[in-house]
This record gives sequence, structure tokens and C-alpha cells, in this order.
Amino acid sequence: MIGLLGDGLLLTTQIFFVTLIGSLPLGVVVALCRMSRFKVVAGIARFYISILRGTPLMLQLMAIMFGPYYLFGLQMGSDWKYWACDIGFILNYAAYFGEIYRSGIQSVPRGQYEAANVLGYSRAQTFMKIVLPQVIKHILPAMGNEIITLVKDTSLAFVLGIGEMFSQAKALSAREVSMVPYALAALVYWVFCLIIEFVLGKVEKKLDYYHA
Amino acid sequence: MRSENEIANANASTSACDSVVTLSSAKKAFGKNEVLKDISLSVNKGDVLAIIGPSGGGKSTLLRCLTLLETLDSGRLAYGDVVVCDNDGQDKAVYAGKQTLRAAKTHFGLVFQNFNLFPHYSALKNVADPLICVQKMPKADAYDRARELLAKMGLADKADMVPCALSGGQQQRVAIARALAMNPEVLFFDEPTSALDPELTREVLRVIRELAAEHMTMAIVTHEMSFARDVADQLIFMDDGRVVEQGRAQDVIGDPQHERTRVFLANYQQG
Repeated sequence: MIGLLGDGLLLTTQIFFVTLIGSLPLGVVVALCRMSRFKVVAGIARFYISILRGTPLMLQLMAIMFGPYYLFGLQMGSDWKYWACDIGFILNYAAYFGEIYRSGIQSVPRGQYEAANVLGYSRAQTFMKIVLPQVIKHILPAMGNEIITLVKDTSLAFVLGIGEMFSQAKALSAREVSMVPYALAALVYWVFCLIIEFVLGKVEKKLDYYHA
Repeated sequence: MRSENEIANANASTSACDSVVTLSSAKKAFGKNEVLKDISLSVNKGDVLAIIGPSGGGKSTLLRCLTLLETLDSGRLAYGDVVVCDNDGQDKAVYAGKQTLRAAKTHFGLVFQNFNLFPHYSALKNVADPLICVQKMPKADAYDRARELLAKMGLADKADMVPCALSGGQQQRVAIARALAMNPEVLFFDEPTSALDPELTREVLRVIRELAAEHMTMAIVTHEMSFARDVADQLIFMDDGRVVEQGRAQDVIGDPQHERTRVFLANYQQG
């Protein structure tokens, strides 16, 4: 039982990290598009965010999984479900992260940009040295929330028949007619989240030396 | 229409003069609201110019245009022989290219009403970082210079503190050190004490007085009339986007010629 749950945990962890690696940078793109001066670009970003936040992630995963066949008659390979899973999670979380980044960037007062401008900082220097560090501090709590949600959201991958931890627990529970696998899975999710809380707490503490 | 090249040529041919900054016939509107209506001024080397007037009279916008935070609709602005913008045939201000604007920015510093220090940097790094990032000064030299300036501001023991641990007056003095570090030819102040209580105001004004005594060229938007009278050489009274009265600071404040100036100054004498 532990072995199967362990295999599931491996896949869960994989989905978790692949999603973060993909959606953290993609979120920046979403935020920048959303704040773009070009109305069309901003409009597209707004629509993207609206759809991805406004429909269940489970349905989004299914749409990506089965969309290619039902829309275009494409036969996808047997490992398409893993791709569909990663793509779905990344697209969905990029929408949320994009909005968090946007709130962070907008929280930096205009005076910071103006001071940097008058002192002669370039635009890139202003963003990297002055704005970004303040954005990171500002968005950390919201990011923590979202990242912890992601840990548990990985269980939605069960609709694609991916054997991540929740799917394994479900199968084990049916086979052994026992709730223990579910309880064990719950415990592991919780410990996973505890580790994240611990790391985030450390980072927050490190940035606690100032307030804006 | 004048091209950037022509402005560059004008830059090359204009000879250096005593005036550090010259603004002529400046106009600026936000939508239909005309904020600056034909303003001209110049600040000579070593002079202190005070700009006074009621809120909403265009003082801050004037300073923001001078420091390139806003663009003029019409007019000519030059720092020494660097022409920032000049009118084309239709009286529309045409700005010089990026390179020239960057060069112009080395001529001035700006001290804001609410300091705008970088909150994540220590006082020392606030002063040193622009030297390292913008002027490419070696780190050790930049930190030496920053320490020296903070000491001059009476903040030697606060160097390692972040802005939020400092009082408003201390923050403003760090901001002045930060602006001075860049070695500007003229330092602009936008109501530098408006966010401070009287006690903190005094410590900031003392620093500015010391700079004036060292013949630092400055232009100061202020509501501190006695300070303006004592420290400024020249004074401009602005209202409704125009210069109503200008002259020697002591003359204008002591014996205003214009009715509007008199009414404005009377409020201060009563207070």
C-alpha cells in the first residue's frame, strides 16, 4: 500500500513542480499583457483570465485531454494525458499568478518609479532593482495561498487517469475496502503543505526587515 | 517640424552661460485644464530660487516638467547647453533623443515631498546604489561618498537603517543626500517639508540653509515663507498657471507689488 501511494506521491510532486516551473514565468507574461497599453492585448489577457478562473480546472483538464480528438479528430498518443495534465495546470495557474503579479506591480507607488527615473536608472534597472523586490514581498502571502491550493488541486488529475496520489488512494481504498488509504493520502498532502508553509515562512521572515 | 537632429545641432552650437537651467514660454495642459500658461524662468549658478503660490497653481507641475517627469506641450527647456526640448514651427515642444535626455538628467536632482526613498534599501544603500548603477562608480568609492554625505546630513549613525525605521525628517535628509550624491548642478525641491511636523521641518530646512551657504544651486517649491525670504535669492509667485510676480525674494515677500501676491502672503502673516 505504501509503495503504491509512494508512486502516486512521486507523480503528484512532479505535477506540482512542473506546474510551478511553467506557470510562474507564464504568469508574468499574463500580467504584462493584462496591463498592456494596447487594448487588444489587454482584452485578450482579460478574456483568458476570465475563462481560466471562471471554469472548473477539472473541465479544463478534460477539454485539453479530449479536445484534440473531438474538435479536430486527432488521435493523440497514450502519454498525451500527461501532457494534457501539465498544460492544463500551467495554463490555469498562470491566470491566477498573473493576477497576483498584477496586484503586486500596482502596489508599488508611482513615486518609486519617479525617484528611480530622476536618478537615472534605466527601465530595466528600475524593474529589477527597485520594483521587483517590493513586488515579491507584497505578493508572498497571496502566492503562498495559491501554491498550497496547487498541492491539493493536483488530485484533480485523477479525471485523466493519471496515477497520482489521490487516484492511487482511491484504487487502494476500493481494493482493500478501507478508508485508511484516503487517511494516509490526506496526511501526506498535509505534510507536503506544512513543508511549503515552513519555506514560505522563512522567506517572509527574511523580507520582514522593512515595510513600505 | 524640427527634428531631433536639429535639436542636437542646437545643443552643439549654444554656448555655455551662467544659467544652469532655462525655461521659456512653457505651456502644459492636462486635457482641457491648462496648468502652465506661458512660464519662463531661469536659475543662475549658485542662486536659490523659491517658488511659492497657492496649491493647484501649477508649482508642482512646473517642477515635474523641469525634471522630465512630465513633458511640456510647448516651450523650450535647457540645462546649460543641453537643450531638452524646443518648439517646432507650430509651437509644439519637440523633445531631444534619449541620449540627450539622459545627459540632461545628470544636471539636476529632485527631492520629493514624500521622500520616495527605496524602502528595501538601507539609508546608505539608498545613497550609494544610484552611484553604482547609474554613474558606474566602484562600489567602495560609492559607499565612501554615501557615508560622507550621510555624515554631513547628521545621519552617520543611521546609515544601516531602513527608511521605515527613520523619522520623516531623517528620511528627507537621506533623500537630500541621495540627490546630492549624484553631483547635480541644480537641486529641485518639491515642498520638501510639507509632510513633516514643525520640529522635523526645522531640521530639514537647516540642511537646505547649509547647502545655500555653500552656494548650491537650488529651486525650491515651498510654503515656508520666512525660510523662502531668508534663504532664496530669487522668488516666483505663481497662481493659476502664471508667474504673477517675481523678483528678489526679500522684496517680493517684504513688499509685494501685485494684489494677488499681497492677499496670498497676508494669510501667512496672520498664521
